[in-house]
Amino acid sequence: MVKIQESKNGSVIILELSGRLDASTSSILEKKVMEFLDSGEKYFILDFKNLDYISSAGLRVLLMAAKKSNGAGGKVALSCLKEHVKEVFDIAGFTAIFPICSTQEDAAGLF
Amino acid sequence: MTLAGEVLIVLKNSLSELERLSLALEELGEANCLPLKAIMDVNLALDEIFTNIVSYGFEDDNIHLINIHLLIEGKELNIRVEDDGMPFNPLEVPEPDLNLPLEERKTGGLGIHFVRKMINELKYERRRGKNVLFLKKRFN
Repeated sequence: MVKIQESKNGSVIILELSGRLDASTSSILEKKVMEFLDSGEKYFILDFKNLDYISSAGLRVLLMAAKKSNGAGGKVALSCLKEHVKEVFDIAGFTAIFPICSTQEDAAGLF
Repeated sequence: MTLAGEVLIVLKNSLSELERLSLALEELGEANCLPLKAIMDVNLALDEIFTNIVSYGFEDDNIHLINIHLLIEGKELNIRVEDDGMPFNPLEVPEPDLNLPLEERKTGGLGIHFVRKMINELKYERRRGKNVLFLKKRFN
């Protein structure tokens, strides 16, 4: 189960995720991000404050989102990763390729 | 399911079963006071293995059952995963390159990489038409 709450701050789309991002739920995020990209949005903050779990299927969607928004001259930043989620990022070598902030405000400062 | 320290989780080959997997692991952890971190590690490893089996293991559209047997022995959790899908030895999957820049990065092989990192010992056998994967997780 994953829930996505969306809002917009200037030109930045903020997606607050809660629940679990795995192979059975990651398509929900993929669809949401694709809709925004297709409508011309390219700046994203994904807030993981309430995200309890992520697997490689979730990382696949994040990588797709980052590649596509970077390709359009935009950016994907992440905020508020829980410890276990952060560890998954570390093990995947994803910490080096995503801007990761401890608060959503810090992430907003990157745009 | 006889002892609290032993459980058999039987899942259908559907990704929606991932939720049942995580709930069953949480239950096992709570009933046996296992460290939460260890349960989360095991959950990630079994998620990746199960997702692989469901996504690539079967060529037909039939329902298949995947058995996950977990046994707590002292400071170890011994796990056996069995499926009747196509022969697949995850130990043969090459390690992904984790140093590529974003544009060249791929996620293939990442799931098995997680399994290797989260689990202390991993062994594969093809036995009577089944893939049998043994995993050992040690607690601190």
